[in-house]
Amino acid sequence: MKRTRMLSLVIMSILNILLLAGCWNYREVDQLSIVAGVAIDKGIHEKYSLSVEIAEISGEKESETKSKTITVEGKTIFDAARNAISFMGKKLYWSHAKVVIVSREVAETGLVDILDWYNRDAETRGDIHILVSKGESAKEILSRKSTTEKVKSFEIDKMMENQKALSKTSPIEIWEITNELAAKGVGAISAAVDLEKSDGEEVPRVLGTAVFKGNKLIGFLDADETKALLFIRNKLDGGILAEDIQMNGIVESVSLEIFKSKTKVQPVVSNEEIKMKVSVETTVAIDEIEGTFNVIEDEGRKKLEKFAEESLKSQMENLIKKVQLEYGVDIFGFGTKLREEKPKAWESVSSEWANVFKDIKVDVNVKVHVKNSAMLSKPLEVGD
Amino acid sequence: MIKRFRRKDSTDRKGRQTDQKNKSMTTLKESLEENIAAFQNIFSKNETLIIRRFQNKYLSAAKCCVLYFDGMVNTEILNENIIQPILSNDLTDKISSINLLEELQYKVIVSNNVKIVTDMDQIVSSAVYGDTIFLLDGYAKALIIESKGWKMRSVDEPESSKVVRGPREGFTESILINLSLVRRKIVNPDLKFKFREIGERTRTKVCICYIEGLALESIFKELEQRLDKIQIDGIIDSGYIQELIGDAVFSPFETVGASERPDVIAAKLLEGRIALFVDGSPFVLTVPFVIAEASQSAEDYYNSYIFASMNRLLRMSAIILAISIPGLFLAVTTYHQEMLPTPLLLSISASRQGVPFPTVVSLVLMLVVFDVLREAGTRMPTPIGQAVNIVGTLVLGQAAVEAKLVSAPVVIVTALTGILTLMNINLIGPIIIMRFFLLFGAAFLGIYGLIFAFILVNIHLVTLRSFGVPYMMNLTSVKNHNGQDVWIRAPWWTMTLRPKIIAAKNLVRQTTKRKKGK
Repeated sequence: MKRTRMLSLVIMSILNILLLAGCWNYREVDQLSIVAGVAIDKGIHEKYSLSVEIAEISGEKESETKSKTITVEGKTIFDAARNAISFMGKKLYWSHAKVVIVSREVAETGLVDILDWYNRDAETRGDIHILVSKGESAKEILSRKSTTEKVKSFEIDKMMENQKALSKTSPIEIWEITNELAAKGVGAISAAVDLEKSDGEEVPRVLGTAVFKGNKLIGFLDADETKALLFIRNKLDGGILAEDIQMNGIVESVSLEIFKSKTKVQPVVSNEEIKMKVSVETTVAIDEIEGTFNVIEDEGRKKLEKFAEESLKSQMENLIKKVQLEYGVDIFGFGTKLREEKPKAWESVSSEWANVFKDIKVDVNVKVHVKNSAMLSKPLEVGD
Repeated sequence: MIKRFRRKDSTDRKGRQTDQKNKSMTTLKESLEENIAAFQNIFSKNETLIIRRFQNKYLSAAKCCVLYFDGMVNTEILNENIIQPILSNDLTDKISSINLLEELQYKVIVSNNVKIVTDMDQIVSSAVYGDTIFLLDGYAKALIIESKGWKMRSVDEPESSKVVRGPREGFTESILINLSLVRRKIVNPDLKFKFREIGERTRTKVCICYIEGLALESIFKELEQRLDKIQIDGIIDSGYIQELIGDAVFSPFETVGASERPDVIAAKLLEGRIALFVDGSPFVLTVPFVIAEASQSAEDYYNSYIFASMNRLLRMSAIILAISIPGLFLAVTTYHQEMLPTPLLLSISASRQGVPFPTVVSLVLMLVVFDVLREAGTRMPTPIGQAVNIVGTLVLGQAAVEAKLVSAPVVIVTALTGILTLMNINLIGPIIIMRFFLLFGAAFLGIYGLIFAFILVNIHLVTLRSFGVPYMMNLTSVKNHNGQDVWIRAPWWTMTLRPKIIAAKNLVRQTTKRKKGK
């Protein structure tokens, strides 16, 4: 009798462990349709229209990666995502999605709906890139033919990953934009994507930055402005500075490759007036000289550095002025810096920071070091 | 419950034992013919018993007879050293014939070991073990003349544990040869041998071998006690004893070690372990046995310590991988797809298209198929074995994937696991069982279940003891000299102490001074 009770107790506890514990989610891989990326548009009938790119490999011996894009509508994002079942039978699997592309229209009405689902759902990841489509439709971006990858979303993901060497857009992941939306004293940004003509075909190009006020899109920055923005945000890891240099009345171009760049933003508070001091220190190398100027020798190099410094400085100053006047959103994170370094000053202005930011004075200092001239130590010589 | 069974069994056996003794209780008589008749009675219906009567040419009183079993004796010894001298020599001038039997023992019979015996039991057991019984008319005594001479496998390299570097001799089926192999390696009077017989019908010779001053007395006593308790009718191989004296009856893990190599046994004796030789088995047992020994190879100690440590680490990690890879694969592909890199997920997904069975089923199926092939390959005669291998590995694996019976990754996982298992040939049984256990854990609960099952296995392992020594000894400890011979094999100059719990009597292995000149 005692033994039976003991035995049933053991069986019960084993059953409980098996049936009640966390991992209930058994599913075979072939039952999943793996989402590579998603584009979110305004729906025609419902609130949202979700265009989902699904990656799949087919073929026996010579397997081929293919992608399909399907469009579903729904009242909410999740509703639309689940509606996919009625189109294709399989459930969408979100853990391997690489990009979210939001159409301009949707971004203008607010990102919160999208970000909430993306952060809340167990399957979706926070570390994927978010882009805003400059054109009317986000779906268009995904439905274009891809060049290097078989799956368009993977290609866009690669574009974002390799921005390090280009710095013409701001690769922002879902978790970053979520944090920036929540944080005080910094405005949210995201990468922008547009269709551009290339070889007679319209292909997506990742270029520039989308600027948000609150969670609503208010405008875009172009490629050069983006680079200046990245400089100020201290997010710049590489890229090219193409500088015009003037010597004896002739203008020639020099390409500088950025190796290392460090930006310090320091708030200076004096007599109730808040000033920001931005000092950029960047190390570059000469990678291309279009002409015969000797910019490698001391004298020429000094001149080159000065030209670069001045052009960078003016770019940044122009950007800051533009943002202050047009958008009035602190996308540089000056507010955050102020809060970190001068909490008292921040407290007095935090409630009206948007207004304070508009006419804050910014002092930009740029220091450029030319490190080397790559594999050649002289400009090419042109003889007779 | 087991204990109860054992008690019942033992009373049963005692009954049989007395039975047997009654039969051989006859004593020797003075008359030769009566004695012969007595032996014929004892060995009735045994036609291998040969009785050769003969008489000395010159001395008629020397009517005698030899008894032996056909095939067990060296007939050369028998003919030239026993029969011929007695038969043809003129004994009259040498022998006073007052105590003829003793005279024959001392002066005539040419043999290395001759004993005068009256105990019938001893005579019988010597005769069946290949000695010759010499009976002389008029004496109620017999001579036991050593003449063992059965055919024996020679000392050659053991099939089960080959080495590239190191001695190539292996134990044989003869206990005496086996003892001499170890004796030659440890030339020291402290090496002790204690014989006993186990098996009421087979009377198998068993020898406990240890080094006095190293082996713990408590372990020795425990071993003797456990051997005393064995009441079995026969011991055919040391495997019987291994199971009968083991600690954990229901565990797949062995708590008694076994080796076919004299160098391994000698090294274990030097670490303070006790060896158990069983006649008829080339596998010598050692106690106490800890799990770390299972992945130690003789070669580890002969190769450079760096290379040896690398191999040891490979083998140790192979144990963990061999039990967990199928479970891990299953958990990741059916529960945690987000953990896979995207390209891998895509290709696994593609290979699963059209496969009818769930991953668990196909994994279990393939693992069972692999074990079937392994088992078939072991028992198969070599020429057929190759055919089986080709059919099994190439045809079956390839065809199963092409017929969409299983997916290609499952075949890869199975093959990988199979090879990893073979890296630790001593643990093959436990590994297979543990692997299925972990696989079912993973099938029900994903990685959570896999870890759950792994923890259970570990709990089981830490509760195991071998003759009072923790089974997982030194596996997690690097303090003092504990971890020197587990995950790695430390250089010899640093291994100055023996394993502590095993050889607690004398820990010092080397007295070389440390590098700092202390």
